Amino acid sequence: MNRVLSFFGAPVVLFARTTRAGAREGISWRECMVQLHELGGRSVWLVMSGMAFFGAVLVTIANSQARRFVGNVAVLGPAYFELLIRELGPVVSALLTASRAGAGHAAELSTMSVNEQVEALEMSAGDPYSDLVAPRVVAGLLGVPLLCTLGTVAATLSAVAVAGLAFGVDGRAFMDPRYVDGWDLLAAGLKAGACGLYIPLAAAVAGLRARGGAEAVGAATTEGVVTASLGCLLIDFAVSLAFQLLRL
Amino acid sequence: MSTGSPELNALRGVGGLGLDAVRGIGALALVAARTLLGLPRLERRELTRALVQFGFDSLPLAMATAALAGVIVVLQSGLYIQRFGARAFLGWASGYGVLWEFGPLLLGLIMSARIGARNAAELATMQVGGQIEGLRGIGLDPFAILVAPRVVAMELSMLAMSTFTFMVAILFEAVAALLTLDLPLRTFFGTFAHMLSPLDIAGGVVKTGIFGLAISLVSTAVGLSARGGAQAVGRAAASAVVQSCAAIFVLDFVLTLVLAGWMA
Repeated sequence: MNRVLSFFGAPVVLFARTTRAGAREGISWRECMVQLHELGGRSVWLVMSGMAFFGAVLVTIANSQARRFVGNVAVLGPAYFELLIRELGPVVSALLTASRAGAGHAAELSTMSVNEQVEALEMSAGDPYSDLVAPRVVAGLLGVPLLCTLGTVAATLSAVAVAGLAFGVDGRAFMDPRYVDGWDLLAAGLKAGACGLYIPLAAAVAGLRARGGAEAVGAATTEGVVTASLGCLLIDFAVSLAFQLLRL
Repeated sequence: MSTGSPELNALRGVGGLGLDAVRGIGALALVAARTLLGLPRLERRELTRALVQFGFDSLPLAMATAALAGVIVVLQSGLYIQRFGARAFLGWASGYGVLWEFGPLLLGLIMSARIGARNAAELATMQVGGQIEGLRGIGLDPFAILVAPRVVAMELSMLAMSTFTFMVAILFEAVAALLTLDLPLRTFFGTFAHMLSPLDIAGGVVKTGIFGLAISLVSTAVGLSARGGAQAVGRAAASAVVQSCAAIFVLDFVLTLVLAGWMA
């Protein structure tokens, strides 16, 4: 029970403190850009190549499903495209970002708190929430939706290519937006934005709590990645369930 | 560093990437070979500890992931299954999705975050602190004591957990289908049992097992090659997660192609 409470409570408290500190002290936009590069620019190849492989796998599975029923994988294309836009694109991209950026943030922040650099920052009248956490949160909010978009594009293109080259069907069916409507885009955007908010917060909770030596850094990194990934899955589940219940 | 013509720089970049790839594969092969050689002299106590840590302690996380994966698969396949009027096939479709794709993939990603990062961090701490040199110094083989138990324990735990998580995921799928789509459990398990073969389960288990092997080899190789101070430990943990994720995605693609072609 305690762990469940702290799993949900700690990021909320951290978010409240960060917003308050950010509003009071102001946020350095230059630092936000640096963090955006750290989170976005450095994860972009991981996310895009991972999503490209994922798209290829999706087509392979669609192909083996289609061979059993409809005979032609291109028939399933539009449905799979909607699935990719709404569900798999945002979530798998966010999971990949969580493993890259979550680990990076947690390792960096826990090294700083283990080396007492966070205390040093407080001593020199800085605020760790507005100086360290807020730029990462802004970068996540901007960067994760961008990465999700790029990842979805990469998955779509590789699905089209694999369908055309390996299975000899017209792969353009995998980018047919017949079933995609505004609600799908809204669901995808909500998921990406919420994951973008959650990943830096989860990593910061784990990182700032670290005490001890080098082992604490490793433990904090692990905890940051695990909570960030699990949080992305939970967010995906909550948004999907809400949309399903509202029949959108 | 970046002097010379753009073509030369591009060539240098490609060469660097190639060298990095060869170095990484070499390190992996070395760890795999030394682990195999260390297998007969495997440290039993360390193996038990690793089995408890990797398998038993990960169970809650694996179960939570499985439950979420199951419900998510039903929620999203419900969308287009209703559209095509093929509600009865949901049991088959979602079972297929979990066994072949989402079960192994999500379990692999979560376990690479939990176990991969921890392996790399522990081994990197020991490497940076000179403890691995110390083991060598007193004539013990670090691969038999530290690496082989981890690889074996990871493999056993992943294999054991795979069937267990698939079961949990499928149970949650059935309940979610009952609650959100009003699909009777009888229909769900009817098509599930009728249209899936044991080979489909075997496919998922094989995939999970290979992911487990990849995670343990990559993370121990990354941990052992850490050099530097405290920062190297954090960096090793992070890069172990990233490299295991990349390996899982590549392997996922290759395995889906090979297994689907071979079993279908």
